[in-house]
Amino acid sequence: MPANRKSGLVGAGAAVMFLAGCVNLFFRASPRILSFSTPATVAAANTSDEDDDSCADTTDLAMAMTAWKQVQQRKADPVSASVSSVSVSVSGTTAPVGGDIAPARTVADAYPSFHSVAIDPAAGQVVISDSNRGAILLYDRTSGDNSHRMVPPEREIRGPRTGMMFVAGISVDPSQREIFAVNNDIGDRMEVFSYDMEGNIKPKRVLSVPHGVWGVSFDAMRQEVAISVEHPNTVVVYRRDASGSEAPLRVLHGRETELADPHGIVTDAAHNEMLVANHGSWAPLTREEEDALGGSVGGHFALPSINIYGVEAKGDEKPIRKIQGSQTQLNWPMGMSLDAAHDEFAVANYGTNSVLFFRRGANGNVAPVRVIKGNRTGIVGPMGVAIDVKNDELWVTNYSEHTAVVFARTASGNVAPKRVLRNAPAGTPAVGFGNPGAIAYDSKRDQILVPN
Amino acid sequence: MAFARLANGNQGPVRVIEGQASKLSRTMHGIAYDPVHDEIVVPVHLAGAVLFFKADANGEEAPVRIIQGPHTRMLRPETVNLDLQNNEIVVGEDGGKDVLFYPRDGNGDVPPLRTIRGAKTGLDEVRGVAVDPVHNLVVVGSRSDGKGTTGVFIFNRTDNGDVAPRAVIAGPISGIIRIRQVEVDPGQGKIFVAVKNNAESYRFEDASPSPWNPDKPGFIGVWDIHDNGDVPPRGVIKGPASEMVWPAGVALNPADREVYTIDSVSNGMYAYYMPEFFPRKKQ
Repeated sequence: MPANRKSGLVGAGAAVMFLAGCVNLFFRASPRILSFSTPATVAAANTSDEDDDSCADTTDLAMAMTAWKQVQQRKADPVSASVSSVSVSVSGTTAPVGGDIAPARTVADAYPSFHSVAIDPAAGQVVISDSNRGAILLYDRTSGDNSHRMVPPEREIRGPRTGMMFVAGISVDPSQREIFAVNNDIGDRMEVFSYDMEGNIKPKRVLSVPHGVWGVSFDAMRQEVAISVEHPNTVVVYRRDASGSEAPLRVLHGRETELADPHGIVTDAAHNEMLVANHGSWAPLTREEEDALGGSVGGHFALPSINIYGVEAKGDEKPIRKIQGSQTQLNWPMGMSLDAAHDEFAVANYGTNSVLFFRRGANGNVAPVRVIKGNRTGIVGPMGVAIDVKNDELWVTNYSEHTAVVFARTASGNVAPKRVLRNAPAGTPAVGFGNPGAIAYDSKRDQILVPN
Repeated sequence: MAFARLANGNQGPVRVIEGQASKLSRTMHGIAYDPVHDEIVVPVHLAGAVLFFKADANGEEAPVRIIQGPHTRMLRPETVNLDLQNNEIVVGEDGGKDVLFYPRDGNGDVPPLRTIRGAKTGLDEVRGVAVDPVHNLVVVGSRSDGKGTTGVFIFNRTDNGDVAPRAVIAGPISGIIRIRQVEVDPGQGKIFVAVKNNAESYRFEDASPSPWNPDKPGFIGVWDIHDNGDVPPRGVIKGPASEMVWPAGVALNPADREVYTIDSVSNGMYAYYMPEFFPRKKQ
């Protein structure tokens, strides 16, 4: 047995590797083709296919992989057959080298990756999106404690029927008890579920949205849903009940908008405003857009910002205010939450493992009014924030750890959270993949590189 | 994100380059490691830029060079690779439908050395690029939604302008429906392709809809650098045991005889021990 495979078999996660190794060894024990130039019969390749299901299912159980993968693996026989048929139709006697090979090692997160968070204090409901497994998790508002205990959700919406893939932003409508979820960079949809739905279930309705949506904000006053879209640097606003391929009511897009890789979005109905967090990356999306801008313009990096628009802004409309500059501490700003009662808003500031609070009317290069940051806070890679005014709490979802942390609404500085909600056993590393799209090998450090 | 090669199971990265100063963003669908100059190269689609980092970069570290600006003629770089023999980087663009070559040590608003773009090229959304300096070829993975050809396009390395490919591997026998990252092993004259295939298939009106289509699974396919036409792969990693659903990338480690892929749906990274693909023994 090669050294690398032997080391894998005795490595961490012994049960997982034992089963995975079992699969691998089984297939390696089957007749195989040893090099690209070695002829072999298709029958030999088929021999290994016959036992796919049993081994794959065992591996799947051990890995506790997602429901959709189980479906994929159970339905996989026709797939394997198609590999062989390709060879038959062309060469008659030559099958491709390799085949249905089990991985020697797999790095994947068996637990949720908390993304965005929304709260309905009246219902006592906290709703969190899980971008790793394409799920929505519903927790009681009082969930979490100061122990190392993992807290299961009260309910989970997850599975192929839900349509959720790389689910990112979420928002809730307390009056209709509905959850709005948008998929970023894969699965260009907004799914709408009721609070009471559970399991592998079709959404109440589905809306096709542009590619690359990240944030979503329900505006109860206007009965509208505003969505930020990263790739085209756009905000689209739909009717609350929009479904299918319905067109947006308004589209905010253009150089004057200064939208640049928009992420978190929140509507401020009381003040007729809309806040959008930007990372600062910008480039024309198409050659046509480039031409409309006068020819080759190239991309650029702007400073991160919070842009504030009129709530009914559309077209190439300028922001009415903009929080941007070195004093702001903005660094990969993600989700936001508005506290209208106290005239401030919170920003999940991923790049500095912090939460920033700004006055609602802040403008320009201004410092936050307070910051939660430091080694006692438990904030690590924050993606979502939700202010619960009724209960005077602040929820923060961590992407880089398997936790959400709950603070007093007025918390500031390097303070410990009131409660910690764990979605995995304490100490479980967060793998952190979110629809990764490429890979490379660093031969000097013996490391595998993945842009995420 | 950098993972130990032998990482296995629920393990996190050993280091992460992230934060505002890194200038990274989402939608980075390419990456290359330069073992000679010890650098990492990453395209930033959303900012029309290619970033170079020290290979040991960690945390909120800034790139050491950036190619970006109107003279680069870049629109939104999707993928990137290196030609160390000729000291060039090659960039592929999906929206730009082109392949651009720059000096490896280019910095700032530098014009491309050469560009492959135009109707004769057959290129649509370029998803993968790799250079074979031994055979003096550039290999391009291009995806088209219906009107054009989805497959592996092979050009002469020094081609420039609106030129036809010298070979195209595509068609039903090839098994390529959707394509992503490509790599070459010049020593063997082999092309490794992340054949993503499985397309979005969610139809709400269905009784039991699903966002993926299990009858069109992705795979890692291997072709010869001299292959042309609708030809089957000479090697595959494919099937339920492989755990691949939508493989989005492929990387090679010939010394350890391993192939790596990353799956954009299962959010899993897979390492396959493939002595069949690398017949040479480890030194």
